[in-house]
Amino acid sequence: MSNFLLAWIVLIPFLSAFLLGVMYLFSIKIAKIPNIVFSVIGISAPFLSFFIGFSFFIQMIGNDEIFLYKAFRWLGVDGRDIDMGFMADKLSIFMVLFISFVGGLIHIYASGYMKEDKGYGKFFFYFNLFIASMLLLVLAHSPIIMFIGWEGVGVCSYFLISYYYEDSANVQAGNKAFIANRVGDFGFIVALITIFYYVGVNGFDYINLEANIENVSPEILTFIGITLFIGAVGKSAQIPLFVWLPDAMAGPTPVSALIHAATMVTAGVYMVARFHFLYDLIPNVGLYVAYIGAFSALFAAIIATKQTDIKKILAYSTMSQLGYMFIAVGLGGYSVGIFHVFTHAFFKALLFMGAGAVIVALHHEQNIFKMGGMKNKTKLVFFTMLIATLAITGIPPFAGFFSKDEILLTAFSSEQYLLWSIGIITAVLTAYYMFRMLFVVFFGKNYKENRTIHFVPKSMTMPLVVLAIGSILAGFIGIPEVLGGQNLVGEWLANWKHNSLHVTHNTELILMGTNILAALIGIFIAYKKFYMYDMKKVPEFTGMVWNKFYIDEIYNKLIVDSIKHLSVFISFKIDINIIDKVVMGLSRNFIRTGQYVSKMQNANTRFYAFTMIVGISAISTYLILVIR
Amino acid sequence: MADSLLSYITLAMILFSLGLLGVISRKNIFIIYMSIELMLNAINLIFVSVGRYYESIEPQVIAMVIIAIAAAEAAVFLSLIVVMYRRKKTLNSDIFTVLSQKDSNE
Amino acid sequence: MIDIVFVVLAFFAVSGGVGMILFAQPIYSALSLIMTILALAGIFALLSAPFLFMLQIILYAGAIITLLLFIIMFLNIQSDNLPEEPHKKSTIVVGAILLVPFNILILKAFYTLPNKPMHILGDNFGSISLFGTELFRGWLVPFELISILLLTALVGAVVLARKDK
Repeated sequence: MSNFLLAWIVLIPFLSAFLLGVMYLFSIKIAKIPNIVFSVIGISAPFLSFFIGFSFFIQMIGNDEIFLYKAFRWLGVDGRDIDMGFMADKLSIFMVLFISFVGGLIHIYASGYMKEDKGYGKFFFYFNLFIASMLLLVLAHSPIIMFIGWEGVGVCSYFLISYYYEDSANVQAGNKAFIANRVGDFGFIVALITIFYYVGVNGFDYINLEANIENVSPEILTFIGITLFIGAVGKSAQIPLFVWLPDAMAGPTPVSALIHAATMVTAGVYMVARFHFLYDLIPNVGLYVAYIGAFSALFAAIIATKQTDIKKILAYSTMSQLGYMFIAVGLGGYSVGIFHVFTHAFFKALLFMGAGAVIVALHHEQNIFKMGGMKNKTKLVFFTMLIATLAITGIPPFAGFFSKDEILLTAFSSEQYLLWSIGIITAVLTAYYMFRMLFVVFFGKNYKENRTIHFVPKSMTMPLVVLAIGSILAGFIGIPEVLGGQNLVGEWLANWKHNSLHVTHNTELILMGTNILAALIGIFIAYKKFYMYDMKKVPEFTGMVWNKFYIDEIYNKLIVDSIKHLSVFISFKIDINIIDKVVMGLSRNFIRTGQYVSKMQNANTRFYAFTMIVGISAISTYLILVIR
Repeated sequence: MADSLLSYITLAMILFSLGLLGVISRKNIFIIYMSIELMLNAINLIFVSVGRYYESIEPQVIAMVIIAIAAAEAAVFLSLIVVMYRRKKTLNSDIFTVLSQKDSNE
Repeated sequence: MIDIVFVVLAFFAVSGGVGMILFAQPIYSALSLIMTILALAGIFALLSAPFLFMLQIILYAGAIITLLLFIIMFLNIQSDNLPEEPHKKSTIVVGAILLVPFNILILKAFYTLPNKPMHILGDNFGSISLFGTELFRGWLVPFELISILLLTALVGAVVLARKDK
């Protein structure tokens, strides 16, 4: 019975979303409901899930217990049944904890950010629905149930990106996100089918899959591994399906914070970790995953160095950090990757929320070169964002240092030196563009003195503080042994550690030093160029990097345009000429034949007689030829 | 030649075919009527020759009945022709298409 | 001898039929038809049907065709009243071709019958007395019905051809 509580983790946000949706419809059709009602219900849901998750977490300390709850049989297919079930093991509970906690904080933030929006209730409905889907994804006991959550977060992402639907550009951004996700989902579905066919004989949940996976041939495993990863690429915005993430910034900032920083985009990483038993058997595919991650990280970092929209800088930085996570899980360091997911959730959410606070303070200005000198105007925001920026660049003792260091250590100790070097270069670039953003926004001189600063409410700033504390402390749960820590994360996720690190403590320390050095180099370059930046001239950017390597344009020309041409061709050439001709021609000829035949009934008796003779002749011929 | 049934039948079939051809190829209503009579005569011939073949008098009786019917038909047919000729002043049988859909409002 | 008679009569019959369908003027067609009917009457006589031979001449040639000729002349047909028949010959040819299988079929059927002599029978076969006996013995009802039919036709003809007042 206590396992039933597991279902409530997912059920509470679903029910709350349902309630919010009904209340919203009521409020727009019948009688207005004050915003506070929506926010109370909306905010309490993720926190309730957090508390329930925490209770399970406590039960799992010190043992390897797995909690299973099968709600009902969904499809009974002749022995290969699919149940709706929830599974809480150490990995999923870990994810549940920070998803619900950070999600709850962002809900609080959103209650302040969206205060004046007339679709307030609708926003919280979508938001809770998203949390519910994400929790379902994480707590699923079977890949199919995970796929339900997967699709759910995709669709909620679409809803929320297109939230300001009056502007069609936002809707197009939402479409782009959904379609790019869909391309990835195709890979996921193919993988699911293959898994079901080859492995799902004894049951289609993770426990059974893990037990039976060795019976499958390596080619099939490679195929599954690659197609699953295609799904992850779509969801987690890696090369080549990343094009939706920058456009997704058209949504409100809490959406970017929650979905595109802390939770949805990490679903791909979680999925690879979930399928660790599969990827352990096909290290070549894992290497391929790691390379895609590395190149995505580098690519995104390069583009981010020239972006001017504050949210786009953060979007590319997300893509870059996700690349790091994939480097880790690709090389078998699943716990390392998940650790980075955890720390990243804190500081990235914080960065987005801080950026949102600055945007609101400057009346929805998003170009960093039109900001400047915010240090004194929004002190709290500056301080928290400073902490987050230090965290993301990997300066100890902030969170990002420990997780990023472990990732690079994994790369180095697996003797993938190319990956390691890409990681180091990306770390330099990360430090550069993040501090460029920090300096330009918060320092800078000669900005317009008489601009008005919009007030930033407490509901927006309090979560910043909490997350800042988290960004400081989150790393401490993963302090490696070399520094005297116990690496609690590594222990917790011990079942997901594939390879143990074969490097000496000295090498570890040297590598750590290298990371810090790389970060400092980046900060220094940014300092030189952008500290006290003269805000008078807003720079105009051109060039390949500024245009994001023209990837969007290339995709447009190659894929979108060719599909458009194809559909135009089909609709005008084929549909009108061929199909319409055939179908309409068929009916027209039918009518014409009918008219022709109707001329036979011309009441001309001689003609009838003639026809009769023709008939008689025909019958006689037949009889002559047939009878004897 | 006169001794076989087949020759009589051949003659009858030729006459019948001639009558049939007359019905379909001529537009003059009189000729059509005469062709019909020719067909009836051919049938009579078949009846009588078969009667002779089986040495039975019955087909001859039937032939007489047919002649009587032909007479009755002649009376009615010809009076109809007279009526139609008074109305349309032409002997073209194609004019008499009153039963067809297009000219039914004439 | 009989054969020659038969051939001659057959020739007259067929040529009468051909002429009937080919002539444009109805009077000429009617005269051809008379020729055919008379030839047929002769053939009836060859087939041991003397009564029918007489009936044919009296009734058919004498009454029916006469009536037809009378009506033709009564209507005072000028040549412009005659319909134009442009496709007469082609239709005849096509029809003739179409009718060939039919004829072959019938002839094939009759071919199966065994060969029996068809000379003229004696002992009053087809004479009036035999004919009348058969008529009033087995065919009384049709006989009466014919009378009614003729009466109906008579009344019908009179009614139809009346001039409307």
